[in-house]
Amino acid sequence: MKNAESKRRAAPSFLAPPRRARRDAAGLGAISAARARLLIYGGMCVLLIPFVFPTWWMVTSSIKPASDIFAFPPQLLPTHTDWSTYAQVFKLQPFGQQYWNSAYIAALVTVGTMAVSSLAGYAFARVRFPGANALFMVVLLGLLIPAEVTIVPLFQLFRRLGMVNTHWPLILIPIFGAPSVFATFVMRQFFIALPVELEEAARVDGLGRFTIFRKIALPLARPALASVAIFTFLHSWNLYLEPIVFLSSAHMFTLPQALTHFTDAYGGPLWNVQLAAATLTALPVLIVFVVAQKQFVEGLAHTGLK
Amino acid sequence: MAEVLLSNVRKSYGRTDVIHGIDLTIRDGDFVALVGPSGCGKSTLLRMVAGLEAITHGDISIGGRVVTDLDPKERDIAMVFQNYALYPHMTVAANMGFSLEHRGGSKTQVAERVRWAAGILGLEQLLERYPRQLSGGQRQRVAMGRAIVRDPQVFLFDEPLSNLDAKLRIVMRGEIKTLHQKLKTTTIYVTHDQVEAMTMADTVVVLNAGRVEQAGPPLELYDHPANQFVAGFIGSPSMNFIAGTITADGFSTSAGAVLPLPESENRLPHGPAIYGVRPEHLALSTDSGIPAQVLLVEPTGSETQVTVQLGGTRLVCMLRERAALTPGSTVQLQPRVDSVHLFDAASGKRLGA
Amino acid sequence: MAAASTALTSTPAPRRRPYWTIARRDALAGWLFVAPQLAGIATFVLLPLVLVAWFSLHEWNVLANTFNFVGARNYQQLLADPNLPGVLGASAVFSAGLVVFNLSLALLLAVLLNQKLAGIAVFRTLFFSPVVVSLVAWTIVWGFLLQKNGGINGALLALGIEGPNWLRSPGTAMASVIVVQVFKNVGLNMVLFLAALQGVPGELYEAARIDGVPRFKQFRRITLPLISPTIVLTSIITVVGSLQVFAQIAVLTQGGPGISTTVLVYYLYQQTFQFNMFGYGSTLAILLFVIVLVLTFAQWSLRRKVVFHEER
Repeated sequence: MKNAESKRRAAPSFLAPPRRARRDAAGLGAISAARARLLIYGGMCVLLIPFVFPTWWMVTSSIKPASDIFAFPPQLLPTHTDWSTYAQVFKLQPFGQQYWNSAYIAALVTVGTMAVSSLAGYAFARVRFPGANALFMVVLLGLLIPAEVTIVPLFQLFRRLGMVNTHWPLILIPIFGAPSVFATFVMRQFFIALPVELEEAARVDGLGRFTIFRKIALPLARPALASVAIFTFLHSWNLYLEPIVFLSSAHMFTLPQALTHFTDAYGGPLWNVQLAAATLTALPVLIVFVVAQKQFVEGLAHTGLK
Repeated sequence: MAEVLLSNVRKSYGRTDVIHGIDLTIRDGDFVALVGPSGCGKSTLLRMVAGLEAITHGDISIGGRVVTDLDPKERDIAMVFQNYALYPHMTVAANMGFSLEHRGGSKTQVAERVRWAAGILGLEQLLERYPRQLSGGQRQRVAMGRAIVRDPQVFLFDEPLSNLDAKLRIVMRGEIKTLHQKLKTTTIYVTHDQVEAMTMADTVVVLNAGRVEQAGPPLELYDHPANQFVAGFIGSPSMNFIAGTITADGFSTSAGAVLPLPESENRLPHGPAIYGVRPEHLALSTDSGIPAQVLLVEPTGSETQVTVQLGGTRLVCMLRERAALTPGSTVQLQPRVDSVHLFDAASGKRLGA
Repeated sequence: MAAASTALTSTPAPRRRPYWTIARRDALAGWLFVAPQLAGIATFVLLPLVLVAWFSLHEWNVLANTFNFVGARNYQQLLADPNLPGVLGASAVFSAGLVVFNLSLALLLAVLLNQKLAGIAVFRTLFFSPVVVSLVAWTIVWGFLLQKNGGINGALLALGIEGPNWLRSPGTAMASVIVVQVFKNVGLNMVLFLAALQGVPGELYEAARIDGVPRFKQFRRITLPLISPTIVLTSIITVVGSLQVFAQIAVLTQGGPGISTTVLVYYLYQQTFQFNMFGYGSTLAILLFVIVLVLTFAQWSLRRKVVFHEER
């Protein structure tokens, strides 16, 4: 033991641990832990305000009479309700038709993107073919090109095809063009992470490439497909530039586009009607989100940005 | 002085107690192994000493200081984790020096210290490598280096060798033991492998379901287990247990055979008991003894492990020589009477001296 | 016996390998799989890109129906455009402000949400909710709140402060647009950072705790380096995204007041669809593309310096 003692004395002083002056009484420790927790909760609630308040305001103001919206002091909960705004939404614009437009376009785009991106993603991940790497780089280029850069030629292209003021550009471009590249990227990342042994076992059993894809890879890709579906749907539902470029008749409009057209005789926005339309636009997404939030958030987190 | 004292230490999650009132004294410089089956609480106990888990009741003191409510950094301890916990983005040298950096030493002092620790563990050539470039054994040594560089009062090891393959484990066992002999720092070592505990420790503490079953030098636990649990846990292959009754004539098994009782222990109470005899204390002869049927013969080269059937019980015998036995033949068992252990059938406690 | 041995030792006649070997068939399958995506990229991305470059060399007024080759004149006009420095400046301020604000807020929220507290999942959902709300709807609501006599100024007035006309005053207009955009999308980055934070092994923090490393140093020396790959990727995506922000500006400020919020993308839209200068608009599009390429490449190269490379 003497050796240990002398060795310890010889060790540099900076190794000594910080010494507490007094032992901390257990009681005090417990209180400040609870206080810290309260602070954290409180801080987060304050931070939450700009995230949650606009949605709240949107919903509550949509049923206020126009004069109350600008009332001071601002009313958190409506004092008078005017439900006619929702009827006006449908009267001023073919809102039902527009709702349907947004919905079926988003659905088609989602299904189409899932098909195209899963095929391409799988091939890039698993299949060996010459030029695979180079082609993948080319595809990735799509991620870097803002929609605004290509919108003019695309407009001309569809004009030549006589498809302006139809929904075709809004369906074809997202499925095959730049927006689906991210989906392909996600699917590729996912397929790379799948164990190869599963497919090798299928190969030994005599299955062809497409069958392997259809019966083994694709069913296992549900989480990735789910997140692709989610953000593709969101992206299509919220498209703004493409509709205002390609569509000119009100009955062809999609929802984001229609929202900005609720104006009064002087061209000023009809706030309460606009907010009602906005609520209707956000409603389906919010409902699905609340019901399936876990998949939503985790699907997006698992896009695997590693 | 780096004595570690646990007094009446208890840990509960809600209303469930996981650690029930443990008292333990670990002398300065001792190498103590905490061993037990999965879930017995040994890791939890270690983490309570480290300060990573809160103590529900009781006190822990290190080197005379009560550390129960202190943060880990104030306890002057160092810990080696099962998964090494090396910072993957720092070199070996940086990993080892990380904890010293903010304690106020100059860069040269820190480097000197790191070099000293690296020298002891044979890591001098690896100081500029990254953890991902090292083998399992090397990573474990870096984790140890990180611990010794601070010269703490106590080393805590949490199953450090579990992730290594069998051969490497034996090598590292020796290295850790050598390290302890050199530095003489108080060490608490958690493992589920009783061979590790037996070969490395000065004191072995056997834990089961949050309680200390027995604590003492390895050979004492081996030769004089306090209860059936310790008897069965320590020793590989494990001790053979036969149920039966202690009578005046000997130990009568449920199958009707009569086993010899140790002679000096005639103050043994009559009644149901468990007869325990280690495999190496079961000799086989061809003439006299208790008849049993051979089931399996497994030679390892230096020893032969023979499994026999006695009534309804399987017994394992460990023979030092090669035995030409065939499965199905009958042999005569000769237990070494003075190495037989008897335990109470109900409580499992040791009977007799 | 003799016959068998000669049969074994003589070499078999060489077989002709069929053309469609397994490898070749697989390669064909590969091409077929990627064909839809590639055809789409070629048609909707590459072709337009080439066309935009082509268009940028013309003067093209759709209303007057003129389409004349003018060579590099559009580019000369670009360099001489008095609005351009302001537009680029606005873009730079917008992107820089947005990226800094977005990433720090996302990291802060991720750290806050990474604690084991009851009900933390509810907070996570609420912070994420703006991401799913319709962009235009979100922008309209904020536009409304930011009115001179709107909700925000109303709340400030209750505290006795008179708020400015947020969207119509030069300084605050830009800040407002940034804030609106950040709160809409920060939830996405927050979720990504949260996933990265949860990927750091807890043992590393325990080891640091035992060694006495203070909390802030743990964050700086352990957490940040280990989530740096995610930070870099997220920042690339956020920067590229920030250069494409269009709807918010169109709805909230229409590029104003003056051109203080006219970022490049909005300027492009104005020139093309409001002033019908399709040729010049194409020139601006090329400029935008080049900027995106340069920034992405720069960030990607920086990656090697900043990111700790985890073993794959």
